[in-house]
Amino acid sequence: MTDTRVIVKKEIKSLVFEKTLILAIIVQLLIASFSSLIVIGLASFFDPSSLSNYDTSRANVGIVGQGELRQFIEKGHIDPHYYSDVDSALIDFYNNKIDAIIVIPKEESGGNEIINLLIYLPKSDIRGTFVTLELKKPLEEYEGYVRDIRGERIGFEPIKLYVDNIPKKTSTYFEFIFGILIPLLVFTPVFISGGLIIDMLTEEYERKTMDLLLVTPVSFSRILNGKMITAIIIVPAQAFLWLLLVRLNGVVVHNTGLILLLSGIIGAIVVIIGAIIAVKYKKRMISQYLYSLVLILMFLMGYLFTNSPFNLVTRLSADSIGSQALVYCGAYGAVAVVLYMGMMRFQVSGADN
Amino acid sequence: MSRIFTIARWELRKTKSSFSLKTRFFSFIILILIGTASFFAAQSGLHINDNIYRVAVTDASLARVLQSDAKFEVYIAGEEGAKSLFENEGIDILIKGDKIYYHNTEKSISALDALDKAIKKYDEARLLSYDDLNNTFPVWINIKNIAREQAFQAPSINKIPMDMPAQGPGTGQVAEDTQDTISSVEPDGSAPVPKKQGTNTNIPEKTTENIQIPSVREITENKIISPINEQTLATPSHFNPSIPFKSVVLSFIFIFPLFFIAQFFSSSIMDERIKRKGELLLVTPASSYQIVLGKLLPYLLGSIALVALMTFKLGGGPWIILILLPVSLMFLSTSFLGAIIARSFKELSFVLIFLSVFLSGYIFFPAMFANIHAISIISPITLVVRLLENETVSISDYMFSTVPFYLLSILILIFGIFIYREEDLFTQKSIKEKLLDSIQEFIKRIPASLFSLSIALLPLVFSIQLMLIVLMFNFPVRIGILLFIIVAAFVEELIKSVGIYTVFSRKMSEVTTGNALKFGILSGFGFFAGEKILLLVVIASIAGSAFGSVMGIGLLVFPLLLHVTSTTVASLGMRYLGHREYLVCVVLASIVHAAYNLYLVRGVVFD
Repeated sequence: MTDTRVIVKKEIKSLVFEKTLILAIIVQLLIASFSSLIVIGLASFFDPSSLSNYDTSRANVGIVGQGELRQFIEKGHIDPHYYSDVDSALIDFYNNKIDAIIVIPKEESGGNEIINLLIYLPKSDIRGTFVTLELKKPLEEYEGYVRDIRGERIGFEPIKLYVDNIPKKTSTYFEFIFGILIPLLVFTPVFISGGLIIDMLTEEYERKTMDLLLVTPVSFSRILNGKMITAIIIVPAQAFLWLLLVRLNGVVVHNTGLILLLSGIIGAIVVIIGAIIAVKYKKRMISQYLYSLVLILMFLMGYLFTNSPFNLVTRLSADSIGSQALVYCGAYGAVAVVLYMGMMRFQVSGADN
Repeated sequence: MSRIFTIARWELRKTKSSFSLKTRFFSFIILILIGTASFFAAQSGLHINDNIYRVAVTDASLARVLQSDAKFEVYIAGEEGAKSLFENEGIDILIKGDKIYYHNTEKSISALDALDKAIKKYDEARLLSYDDLNNTFPVWINIKNIAREQAFQAPSINKIPMDMPAQGPGTGQVAEDTQDTISSVEPDGSAPVPKKQGTNTNIPEKTTENIQIPSVREITENKIISPINEQTLATPSHFNPSIPFKSVVLSFIFIFPLFFIAQFFSSSIMDERIKRKGELLLVTPASSYQIVLGKLLPYLLGSIALVALMTFKLGGGPWIILILLPVSLMFLSTSFLGAIIARSFKELSFVLIFLSVFLSGYIFFPAMFANIHAISIISPITLVVRLLENETVSISDYMFSTVPFYLLSILILIFGIFIYREEDLFTQKSIKEKLLDSIQEFIKRIPASLFSLSIALLPLVFSIQLMLIVLMFNFPVRIGILLFIIVAAFVEELIKSVGIYTVFSRKMSEVTTGNALKFGILSGFGFFAGEKILLLVVIASIAGSAFGSVMGIGLLVFPLLLHVTSTTVASLGMRYLGHREYLVCVVLASIVHAAYNLYLVRGVVFD
């Protein structure tokens, strides 16, 4: 036991000395900010309230033709400009006076034909995105209005539910933060640790220092355990840091203890798999390559079923599941134990070659 | 040349021999499993937010509607039971009959939104099952995207609408006779039902019983039979800004093999360093650049071949290969430098993860905005996305997005080759020391060193600044420009003075005021010259924007003075404060620099 502790101490010291962990944390910060930027950046496009802070408040839309749609557009955050034909509207469009043109056809809501609207938008232009978002709501309302008239003919009854005081609602942020960001932050340390154990082991093989270690009284399994424990314990430690950071940003994460436990268990599974590969192949190039493949597979599988580790972290952090999650933690823990026992048996027979 | 090929052959043989039959078999099996898993993911969707919301309902038929969306964990209970679940057990939403209750929490409100979406989706699926578009999806939208000059450039000459698409017959002369209908039909908004949720406007009838709701299976079956699938619907609810998500994912698959090849390349280099086999190569007549190019060649050819194979399999023109060539070069050169500067496998892993995350962000993030903003062409992947979406890419687009990649990867290779020598390969120097070594080599070998160094490092500055522009677009425009000016100035000052820092800290010349002045002027002037050359070549397309003017277009005399002055500030700072206070000196120089740039764009930022 003390031998194992010595190995753990040595490995942690080397991690701290090389400042590799700091680089790892910067990497994770980058990953987190990239994904937040993409999602929050895109989501804020879709959220009209954040658009109101945008430099231009109202969209200028050219309207050609008459029709009921006009009333819906006038109600929205849109400055309508009326034109008698498309050509004159296009001149203003090219002069950046208006950012979209809607051509309203003759068909009416009471008619039988499909109402085909023609919309001109500027290509690859942020104004086009803006105007699209502003037009969406009136167009949807118009569709609902026409559908109510025509739907009766085929006996369609929409599902109707009622709520008092509809709040301003969006699920994008919530589902991004709990569904993607938090699981990503909790599990990136896991994936990093898997690679770490491979580096720790293959380096000993390739530098031939493993032979030196083996002539000391420390047994191979102690060395292996020491290295694996190092790789595993830094997982919940990093995950804790992330949860703390998320908390500082004002997001309340529930069930922190269970999340850390789960991250440790999954960390153990991934680290054991990494160690098996490294002991078997001994070369970094091959081991890292195979580990990356296995990692892709595990990552995909993490999204394949309810109660996967990703999903459990999502629900734990959002307080949608409580201590029932312990059952699944137990199941994953059992996987880790089976893998560990398998490895120890395999390692005894495979350590000599 | 022949030496390069010999080394390339050795390298290829070495890599090949590492892959035993067992390894290939094992990776083949994992690849099949990955294929199967992604097939299932495509079939059943990603279970990311499964059961994230908990809903209690009293109506069992409604429960079935909600269960069609995996986000909801649905509890069916009597009125009292449901109410106590809602109040005591942390259930997010209670639906009693057809009335919704929610908590005033972020989660509960999101659940409300998700509920709204789920019901809309369910209704849409039911409508599709009628197979009667005229009555179920009565409003369709055709979109014509027209290129025009963007608003941030001063609208210059009006384009004559020659490329105007042919318009539908009769749209020009809409008759006046619809006037009556407008005045007589008041849209639903005038008869408000304040308690309604969603878009449905009718007052409900008691007859909305479960007979009305077809089961989920019925709907999915109907969907398959129905000639129109959901994706092709061009109705208002599908009218969204075009984010080329699919093309971005597809382009990710194109460059995916590059990650592996770059990993092999760096492993091979590192392997030789650790086992000291590389020493043998160094004593051969082959020079270090021949060794490096020889080692690089098989990996570069391999990655081009793989990209070509992908293009062939997934569709896409040969141009994609040409666009991804500089990207491959970039991946390989960065992993080469990573393998040279790392001290251990662990460090290599982290350096590589860092570089590939940064690089992936740089190339994929702008591509998400391919249809939204012109600035997105700073990433070659945007060009790939455009090609995948059957749009055209011009030569100047290609130049704009790939020239920085070409220049930077060549630069990185050169710096790597400088320290491809015994004292750096087989010692435990820190990353910073090794980088300074390569700069020191540069200063020793290249004439007019500080002047050239500034020019040579320019592509690096340029790429970092382009990355910054992308990030700054997430802020409101004014704050974005302000932040950009400050950070960009810091990056420029850091790069301009790093040569002087190397000279002083490595004691390559005496630390005198005269030298400090001389170095500052040389370095600043070099940067100015390089900037003008580079900008002339590539920057034309964003020259008109406010960001462009910060990057130095405009008058010639003032930028020259600026670069010389600010670098001299840093240089003199190191002379008097000592090179240990390098960062302080750079900050001082950045203040000077940022102040000038702020003055330059004062019209945009402060008006």
